[in-house]
Amino acid sequence: MSTVIARTVTRTVVPIILVTAIALLLQGHNLPGGGFIGGVLTVTAFALIYVIYGLDYLEEELLHQIRAPLLDSIRHGIVENYQVAFGVGLAVAVVAGLVPLVFGENFLYQSHWYIKPLPIYGKLHVASALAFDLGVYFVVVGALLTILAVVGTE
Amino acid sequence: MQPTTDPAASAVLAVVFLPFVAAGLVPLVYRLVGERTAYYAAAIALACFGLVASQYGTHGAVSFPWIRSLGVSLSFYVDGLSLLVGFLASGVGVLILTYSGGYMHGEPSQPKYYASLLAFMGSMLGVAFAADLIALFVFWELTSLSSFMLIGHYQRQESSQYAARKSMLITVAGGLFMLIGFLLLHSVLLDVTSGSNAFSIVYMLENPELVQEELRSAGLFLPVLGLIGVGAAAKSAQVPLHIWLPNAMEAPTPVSAFLHSATMVKAGVYLLGRFRPVLVSHEWELLFAILGLTTMTVAAVLAVGATDIKELLAYSTASHLGLIVAGFGFASELGGETGAFHIINHATFKAALFLVAGIVAHEAGTRKIENLGGLKEDLPITAAITAVAALGMAGVPPFNGFYSKELLFEAAWEAAVHAGGGLAYLYPAVAVFGSVFTFLYSIRFLMLFFGEKPTGLHKVHSPPKAMLAPPLLLGVIAGLVSLGGILGTFGIHFAPFDHFVGEVWASTLPPGSDLHGGFSYYFPDHITPAVTMSAVTLVLGAASYPFYGRLHEGVNRVTDVNVLRANWYYNSAVFGLNGVSDTTAERVQNGLLRTYATWALASVAGLTLAGYAATSVTLPAFELSKVAVTVPILLVLLVAIVGAVAVSIAPSHISGVLTLSILGFMVAVFYVLADAPDLALTQLVVETLLLVIFLLVLDKLPAFYGNTDRAKMARDGVLSAAVGATVFVTVLVSTAATPTDGIASFFVEQAVPVGGGGNIVNVILVDFRAFDTLGEISVVAMAALSVLTLVAMRERGETQ
Repeated sequence: MSTVIARTVTRTVVPIILVTAIALLLQGHNLPGGGFIGGVLTVTAFALIYVIYGLDYLEEELLHQIRAPLLDSIRHGIVENYQVAFGVGLAVAVVAGLVPLVFGENFLYQSHWYIKPLPIYGKLHVASALAFDLGVYFVVVGALLTILAVVGTE
Repeated sequence: MQPTTDPAASAVLAVVFLPFVAAGLVPLVYRLVGERTAYYAAAIALACFGLVASQYGTHGAVSFPWIRSLGVSLSFYVDGLSLLVGFLASGVGVLILTYSGGYMHGEPSQPKYYASLLAFMGSMLGVAFAADLIALFVFWELTSLSSFMLIGHYQRQESSQYAARKSMLITVAGGLFMLIGFLLLHSVLLDVTSGSNAFSIVYMLENPELVQEELRSAGLFLPVLGLIGVGAAAKSAQVPLHIWLPNAMEAPTPVSAFLHSATMVKAGVYLLGRFRPVLVSHEWELLFAILGLTTMTVAAVLAVGATDIKELLAYSTASHLGLIVAGFGFASELGGETGAFHIINHATFKAALFLVAGIVAHEAGTRKIENLGGLKEDLPITAAITAVAALGMAGVPPFNGFYSKELLFEAAWEAAVHAGGGLAYLYPAVAVFGSVFTFLYSIRFLMLFFGEKPTGLHKVHSPPKAMLAPPLLLGVIAGLVSLGGILGTFGIHFAPFDHFVGEVWASTLPPGSDLHGGFSYYFPDHITPAVTMSAVTLVLGAASYPFYGRLHEGVNRVTDVNVLRANWYYNSAVFGLNGVSDTTAERVQNGLLRTYATWALASVAGLTLAGYAATSVTLPAFELSKVAVTVPILLVLLVAIVGAVAVSIAPSHISGVLTLSILGFMVAVFYVLADAPDLALTQLVVETLLLVIFLLVLDKLPAFYGNTDRAKMARDGVLSAAVGATVFVTVLVSTAATPTDGIASFFVEQAVPVGGGGNIVNVILVDFRAFDTLGEISVVAMAALSVLTLVAMRERGETQ
């Protein structure tokens, strides 16, 4: 079992990692970052929880979900959530690729706009690529967490 | 030619795709109506027949763009020849599917059967109407695929599996030869025409002389001719590729009648007819006349050696296909006429005979020739059909096969005279020789219905109407064609039929050929060389029939000699290769991860280094003055090297993994120093995660490597040195190459204005190269699924 210090640090650090990960995802188009890095960083946060608190903690204490897994050998129902995550991610990426077809552009065509005027921000730069990146993010998070959970259970 | 209208695009498209759609619906229909699915499928075939008929009299091409960037379009061409094959595929299809309703009663996996038959019909119609080399190839291979499914219908039987594999191997391999031929043709055409025409069969048919000249000047005429010839020969069962056809008789009899006599095997012949106007020449005549006549004779002799009625018919089919190939082979107009007319005659009498064989096998319970005889009393109508069809097959006047065989004799004689005699007289001589055997086995088949009933043959039942009507109809058609010849002698011609055959004939000739006033046929009223040859055939055949038994045994004695059998070569090759692949699998894929890794890494390193050696890549010269390494970078790299060395001498897994991550983190630091923040971030995070996962699985590994023997260590050492060298050389070579207008500058310039992002790496990932990324995330998702399946579900694999 891990020490109190490790638990306390983890409690503090995990939210910071998650916020950083999401920041990396959102700023990725203009600054270092992107869906892949954001995704992997998110997974490290989960990995930290797993290592320090154990696999059951996330499922039972944080998400309050206790359900029987599909297969006895998996033992953790939450793996199904991860599967949904990368399935949804893949779907988001594909749909993001298909939407341009409606506007008569090629598959996976990307565009970007400036939304202005906005209070506080002034103007906001929105790239359609963000949707695709979001798909990448979810695929990476879902897939890596699946692997982590399955291997971890072993 | 009289002026014709263009074909209707919608009708042609419908006729090709309707069967495929209908095939998709078969499981649903089967659930609703059960065994009556046969009549649903027959109705679809009838609809196709109607659509083909609606295009009768039209001529021309319809086109839909398909792969624009490669100039491939889905275009269809309608002319006499394609209509003929279209009529055969859909018309015989109606009869066969109706017949199946009776024949397949109580048989297993019927939905698969009907779906495959419909899909086959669609592919065959596609072959007939395709006006584009690529489309033709795709439909061509689809016919092979559906044939595979149908031959292997009884999928648990070893003989079915063997037969299905054999036909697949031979016909698909032949198709690949044909594809190479097409691509060569395409490469030549690219020089003379715009890209959009380079795959177009229509263009070739419109400019046959130009195409042939271009092919000759490129030195590719003979290769193209040979490759297309191999494709046609494999499909149409020409010697020595005929061996798959007798085995294909493992399929249910309606399939044999449909695919392996009336339609699919005609695809090869069709191909020859299609390319005949373009490629016809002296070489063409030499190749296909000899190939066709050889097949005709050899297969006819083998048919005499057959002991099973379907085997007899299979060899006979190969023999008649040889006749058609020989007909198309003769360069004169007569040759085209022979091929065109015999395709029709053969389809009518051979499909009828196959259906008769199905009735006999079904009702008498045996297919052995020696156990059958005197069936006339129990099956009178079937006997009458057989008489018309078998006599047509024998070439006995005035039955339909006689007229087309007369044309072959005439073409062979003319070719011999034209070539100035000598060896060329072998053409007519061989044609007569082969025909004698054709006569013999045809009469033998007919004699199943006459003479004494052998003991042991129980009471034979009458077939159901659904099984009797289709061969009856075919027999009547064959009879009508025969009657047409007799009437023709008195100047009464059945004009629409003559006109149609004339159209088919015309489409096998180069433009501007002389049709001698259109097609007509009649009973000969004076002595010609061809009439003499027919007479000789009949007399010889009749004289040798009493010795049929001895001939039969003689043929079998000869085919018992291994080296004389094409099958022996096939079996030796295939089973020999099976042995090789078994031993290879044991060495390369033995289920141990390290073996897979060894082979994969060794082949990557070997292939890459061999590639560099083959293209004689030179390594850039090492210049110390150009090395711009700052002190921090040098330090980081040194630490990394120390880490790498430490990994290989680490005493335990834990320390090995930890030192490995020293290496990883140093690389990350190197990225930071080299101004690559994105890479550094990714490397750091991935490294961390990797470490965690590594530590998780460490438990499962043996604690210590143990004493590995020196040979293995040496091998691993060499392998790792080779992999390292490959990566090293690749990095040197690829970074030394600095193209002037590299794509890098494009990305740098366009990232902000077009991609709208300042992070070039990310813009490339999600915009410029988003398709690649989509592929990569699919791989990531697949990897997760594989882990899930392999690890978490491994326990239930075998039990469920």
